[in-house]
Amino acid sequence: MVHLFTVSKIYPPSYPALTDIQLDIEKGEFVFLSGPSGAGKTTLLKLLFREEEATDGQVVVNGRNVARLSNKGVARLRQEIGLVFQDFRLLARLTALDNVALAAEVVGMARRESRRKAFHLLRELGLKDRHNAKPPALSGGEQQRVAIARALVNDPLLVLADEPTGNLDPEMADETMRLFAQMHQRGTTVVVATHNTGLLERFHHRVVLLQQGRVAGGRKECPAGV
Amino acid sequence: MMKWAQIAFIVRRVLKSFREVFWTHLLTSGTMAVTLFIFGGFLLIQENLQGLLKGWGSRIQIFAYLETSVPAADTESLLARVNSYPEIERSRFVSQKEAWDGFKRSLGSQSGVLEGLSAEILPASLEITLKTAYRSHGALAEVVKRLRAEKGIGEVEYPEEWMEKFGLVLLGVQWAQWVLGGFLFAATLLIIGNTVKLAILARKDEIEIMQLVGARRLLIKAPFVLEGMVQGLLGAGLAVLCLWQLFVSLTSQLPASLGILAERAQLQFLAPDSLLLLVGLGWVMGTLGSLLSLRRFLKRW
Ligand SMILES: Nc1ncnc2c1ncn2[C@@H]1O[C@H](COP(=O)(O)OP(=O)(O)OP(=O)(O)O)[C@@H](O)[C@H]1O
Ligand SMILES: [Mg+2]
Repeated sequence: MVHLFTVSKIYPPSYPALTDIQLDIEKGEFVFLSGPSGAGKTTLLKLLFREEEATDGQVVVNGRNVARLSNKGVARLRQEIGLVFQDFRLLARLTALDNVALAAEVVGMARRESRRKAFHLLRELGLKDRHNAKPPALSGGEQQRVAIARALVNDPLLVLADEPTGNLDPEMADETMRLFAQMHQRGTTVVVATHNTGLLERFHHRVVLLQQGRVAGGRKECPAGV
Repeated sequence: MMKWAQIAFIVRRVLKSFREVFWTHLLTSGTMAVTLFIFGGFLLIQENLQGLLKGWGSRIQIFAYLETSVPAADTESLLARVNSYPEIERSRFVSQKEAWDGFKRSLGSQSGVLEGLSAEILPASLEITLKTAYRSHGALAEVVKRLRAEKGIGEVEYPEEWMEKFGLVLLGVQWAQWVLGGFLFAATLLIIGNTVKLAILARKDEIEIMQLVGARRLLIKAPFVLEGMVQGLLGAGLAVLCLWQLFVSLTSQLPASLGILAERAQLQFLAPDSLLLLVGLGWVMGTLGSLLSLRRFLKRW
């Protein structure tokens, strides 16, 4: 699903954020991307959805060499990826429902259909009664669930989450992680970047540890309950 | 290809934008309307001056005097040749006798002074009226040049000075129209560009999200371009409406006849081509303004 071959990223003028990364993530995997602040987690995710381009090496996502994509190609790539951010990035002027439906509409789903699907997702995520509220009127946990619904509305093959629990209290954080685990169980490939080591202890997925822009270890998926 | 749902999405966005920031749109349309109104005003003046010139044309005549030594047979063929000029609407031959009689009549009771003089001292002449399409200064001069080159024709007279002045006025109006029009066009483009910039900034986070979830560039740009077009067309419509209002109220205040200048009925509103030109300009201004602004502010994408 995701393959990085000797990937380096140097931010202009000469800041090496990632060096010589070798990484393979198979379809259906759940991977934690961990490491201290500044290790390059966000940068790595950005390479995957072509927000940034690698300075060196090859990035292949879902069979596409992302360096070679046209504008249209980038759009198509992103339609297959669901994104979740620490700061939610919801539109404050739109209701929860419209925030989710917009993502489906802009890639060509009819409005009515988009709204129906958005409503179903929000209900599944426990926001049935809040779908007409606007983000400022929602709690952090609720906002993150709206953002997750938005990430899922186009049935992505790959979900990338950057510190999805960073703004949530521990209880909400665990609740949110359980939602990611659910998607994973349905077959979606999930990559979660986090520096919250507590999460790694409670959820036993594969871990890739980054340090100063290099892969500095990790662990394989461990059986539940360890 | 765009899907229907995406086209519907674009249309909804444009409508929503017109609803939400109605006054901004109106102001931009108004700015374009002012530009087009001024440009259209010049067009109107120019067209009417040209119309007047054509109306006066029946009074603008060329007098070609024949040399007295030309034999009658040559006169015949000369007349035939001149009458075959494509520019000529009609010509009247004034023989020496007619000229003499006319001259005598104009002297009235004092015609006695001509006693003993021969009718032959006045030359025969041609009074030429040109077809409407050729009643401009340039075409007139061209015909005169050809007449002067004809064998058998001596002097050629026409209201040269007057035509020249009128031509200059017309040229001045045309220049003012394009120079001033050009300035206003550029200024208006800037204003539209600015509106679009504000619109883009106001929707910056929305555009960002749309890009992150995989919206095509076309889908993101199209609403802005469409808004520009609609504004341009609205502006043009507004300008034409105001021009028409002005035209009607001005002409209704004029006396039915302006003496030797013109009849009120001769004044005309803009021709269809000119109306089309105004609408086209509005359309181009709106579209170009948003495209340029999009290029500048969406460069990264
Ligand atoms: N646009 C940029 N221009 C220059 N340097 C950047 C840019 N973005 C990130 N960096 C640098 O690259 C390094 C890696 O940044 P990155 O955001 O990937 O770290 P991170 O692991 O996500 O950290 P955190 O846990 O704090 O989010 C940092 O030192 C950062 O300063
Ligand atoms: Mg980060």
